[in-house]
Amino acid sequence: MAKVVFEKVRKTFGSTIAVDDLDLTIDEGEFVSVLGPSGCGKTTTLRMLAGLEEPTGGTIRIGDCVVNGVPPAKRDIAMVFQSYALYPHMTVGKNIAYPLKKRGVREPERSERVQATARLLELETLLDRKPRQLSGGQQQRVALGRAMVREPEVFLLDEPLSNLDARLRAHMRAELIELHRRIGRTMIYVTHDQLEAMTMSTRIAVMNAGVLQQFATPADIFHRPANVFVAGFIGSPAMSLVDAELTDPGSDGGGDGEGRFRVRCGALDVALAPGLLRESAAPAPVSLGIRPEDILLGSGDHSAAVGVVERTGHESIVRLDADGTPLIARAPGDTPIEAGETVRFSLRAERLHLFDGVTGQRLNAENR
Amino acid sequence: MHAARAKVIWSVIAWTIVLAVVFPLIWMIVTSVKPQSELFSIPPTLAPETITFEHYVRLLTETPFLQYFRNSMILAVTTTLVVVTLGTLGAYSLVRFKYRGRETLATLVLFTYLMPSVVLIIPLYLMMVKLGLANTLTSLVIAYTTFALPYALWLLRSFMSGIPEDLESAALVDGAGRMGAFFDVILPQALPGVVSTALFTFILCWNEYLFALVLVNSDSVRPLTAGTMNMLITAFNIDWSLLMAASVMMSLPLIVIFTFLQGTLTKGFGAGAVKG
Amino acid sequence: MHSVPPSLEKRYAMIGAVLIAPTVLVFCAVILYPLISAIYLSLFSIYTPTLAGEWVGVDNYGALLASGDFWNAVLNTLIWTVGTLTLQLVCGVAVALLLNQSIVFQSLARSLILFPYFLSTVVAVLVWRWLFNDLYGILNHVLLIAGLIDAPVNWLGQMPNAMISVILVGAWKYFPFVVIAVLARLQSIPEQLYEAATIDGAGPFQRFTDITLPQLRDVLVVVVLLRAIWDFKEFDLIYLMTGGGPVKATQTLSLLVYEEAFRLNRMGMASTYAVAMMLVLLGFTLLYLRQTNRLEEG
Repeated sequence: MAKVVFEKVRKTFGSTIAVDDLDLTIDEGEFVSVLGPSGCGKTTTLRMLAGLEEPTGGTIRIGDCVVNGVPPAKRDIAMVFQSYALYPHMTVGKNIAYPLKKRGVREPERSERVQATARLLELETLLDRKPRQLSGGQQQRVALGRAMVREPEVFLLDEPLSNLDARLRAHMRAELIELHRRIGRTMIYVTHDQLEAMTMSTRIAVMNAGVLQQFATPADIFHRPANVFVAGFIGSPAMSLVDAELTDPGSDGGGDGEGRFRVRCGALDVALAPGLLRESAAPAPVSLGIRPEDILLGSGDHSAAVGVVERTGHESIVRLDADGTPLIARAPGDTPIEAGETVRFSLRAERLHLFDGVTGQRLNAENR
Repeated sequence: MHAARAKVIWSVIAWTIVLAVVFPLIWMIVTSVKPQSELFSIPPTLAPETITFEHYVRLLTETPFLQYFRNSMILAVTTTLVVVTLGTLGAYSLVRFKYRGRETLATLVLFTYLMPSVVLIIPLYLMMVKLGLANTLTSLVIAYTTFALPYALWLLRSFMSGIPEDLESAALVDGAGRMGAFFDVILPQALPGVVSTALFTFILCWNEYLFALVLVNSDSVRPLTAGTMNMLITAFNIDWSLLMAASVMMSLPLIVIFTFLQGTLTKGFGAGAVKG
Repeated sequence: MHSVPPSLEKRYAMIGAVLIAPTVLVFCAVILYPLISAIYLSLFSIYTPTLAGEWVGVDNYGALLASGDFWNAVLNTLIWTVGTLTLQLVCGVAVALLLNQSIVFQSLARSLILFPYFLSTVVAVLVWRWLFNDLYGILNHVLLIAGLIDAPVNWLGQMPNAMISVILVGAWKYFPFVVIAVLARLQSIPEQLYEAATIDGAGPFQRFTDITLPQLRDVLVVVVLLRAIWDFKEFDLIYLMTGGGPVKATQTLSLLVYEEAFRLNRMGMASTYAVAMMLVLLGFTLLYLRQTNRLEEG
């Protein structure tokens, strides 16, 4: 059953298009991340769903109802803000109780539910404190509690972890995953951090410049990015993307007699695995994408000069220059490779990503 | 130590100037407790040789001073309540709502500074006469509101724009309507600013002279400012002791507000002072 | 629930409009009505006590331009405004710089310096008139002892003393406004700017001219414009100190309007003067607007 539906949703601010023709269907119980760089329209999308902004065009549905024009109070949603937005003049207990109070929940039920939520988030001892007396992590949990206490149909989270330090962030990621598992409600999570999106979501909606780039599971997004943007955005270190030329199997100067496509970029000349590209593929300028883990260093048909080697302990990130083509590769932490050396490498042919040189769209066949 | 010595030097200079600036007020108090005989001594004495409160007693018992005081109180408190209420709602509207003409309205607030009070006074006087309100406290409340409201709006706007928008959004999502969010979240946050503005408005009304002069001409309605000046010009001889005593008493609310709330007042004033 | 309710934004807009409506009403009373009235009335000759009038068209304006009183008032207003504004500025900035240093009882000093501004003009005038009193005023006494004058000075009944006295009292009363605005700005200048300059070898005077002054420039422009508008409009202080005397020597435009309306009982003519005043102030206000807009963009 669809829980949240965006149908041709558009938002413009004057002449700026913040969200352009968004079509998105989110199912009940999903944890969907809306991922993208600053200014891509993800927060605007969330705010339209919350009712804090009004779409310039299109419809938004929650459950069966069209919610355009419905005030936030009546939408059965809860939201956790990036700044937490805790009411400074109210105690933690009153903060959490506020949504219940607004819905007319009376005592003693109100206190009971506040207590239950506080217990769940380990906030019982803090109920009488004011927000400014709490640490960042505690404030974040209060914000969560205030959202949870109402048991809404949909949870909206706007970059809730971005104000926490790295360690706390990692901890809270796990907490949120556990929370979602436990309460099972639909969660929509806005972030610019791909690690959060990848680890926490059932599906990820990648946005850029107001346009939805891809909506798929983390695995699909990682292994089968729909276009150049998604390919370059997901994965750390980033996928190496270079301009290349796709040559016709069997044509002069390119073919090797076996009917396989070849892709050429500078000194790099690789034969593609059969069936890698879809039927409609034709010789053209392309973008070639290779993930660092798909470059095997040590032996192979290609060679490159080694630039900087960053050793992080458990692995090394090696920057290569293959005759003018920059590549990034992964190597074990104790790799003997040093900067300035020349190294041989091979590419995992079945793991190459090809994108149309003009549109940026994925050229690989389905499931390849 | 260099820093400690600098502190001493700066302190001496600063306090000399502060005391020089405040001296007229000190002199006012000193004069008010000097007996008449000492008052007219040449050379004048700096510290009173005898302290007497006879002038205060005379002020309170033989002049309409208390009546003036009462009028000023009623006037200032009423106007402050009206102005703060209208101003808080209006400032909220200007800061958090979007509607046509909002920017023009904000600019119009500024244009009220165009109006010299002498210019306002003529149409207001005519209006009051026509409404049959001439020479009443009500006419003064209306008149004072017209010039106090722009100041209040100006101050309150800068306070309210400092409140994070997220707080209101959170309240809306939590189930409040716009006005619910206003009372539950905005108002408590803006409270220091509202208090500052109320105090500022009170002082403004308490000190106002011209409107009181023109719109009112009987002692029963006269506020302190016009009343005291009236005492000055209707007297045969200028009674300085009495006038100084009156001045001290007129400044009492100011002194009270200052002693207890100096922090709030300066903060509000500083924050709103130069912003447009 | 498949109907489409009226836009949320429109509903909010209506609430906003309602909230500001009373204020708008007041503003119509304050701005529109007086403006139209003044212009309207200036075309009449009206006898104040009875409010009986007759149409004179632009005769009043002709009389205005020909009137010696008018130009006298313009000159006096200019002298007063420029004089007291300059003093307010210089003293205000100096004292602000002073109070920005580390001194004992700093917050008390900062509060005390505000007193003249919040004091009633009536009280200020009474106190200063007593101070200026030629026989018993302490000012003359102190100056005599200090040997700066040989005989008691008539501060208010003689020119140029009267104008000077009024300017002085005006400066005393209003300079705290400058102090507060400048002090607030001074306190927001990051200490690091000064530290960096010191490391680069700048002495105290250089630090003042290179760091402090540029930061203050924006505040000062706004303060000057605001105070110029308010000083130009000032009525209470001058009226109560000298009444415009001796013989119109300190009569500014505000006082002229008052005199015409309530003493000479010529409300129409008074309105004409009022319109002239407003035009000048309009110029200042437009300047102020342009300046603050520039600040917001810059």
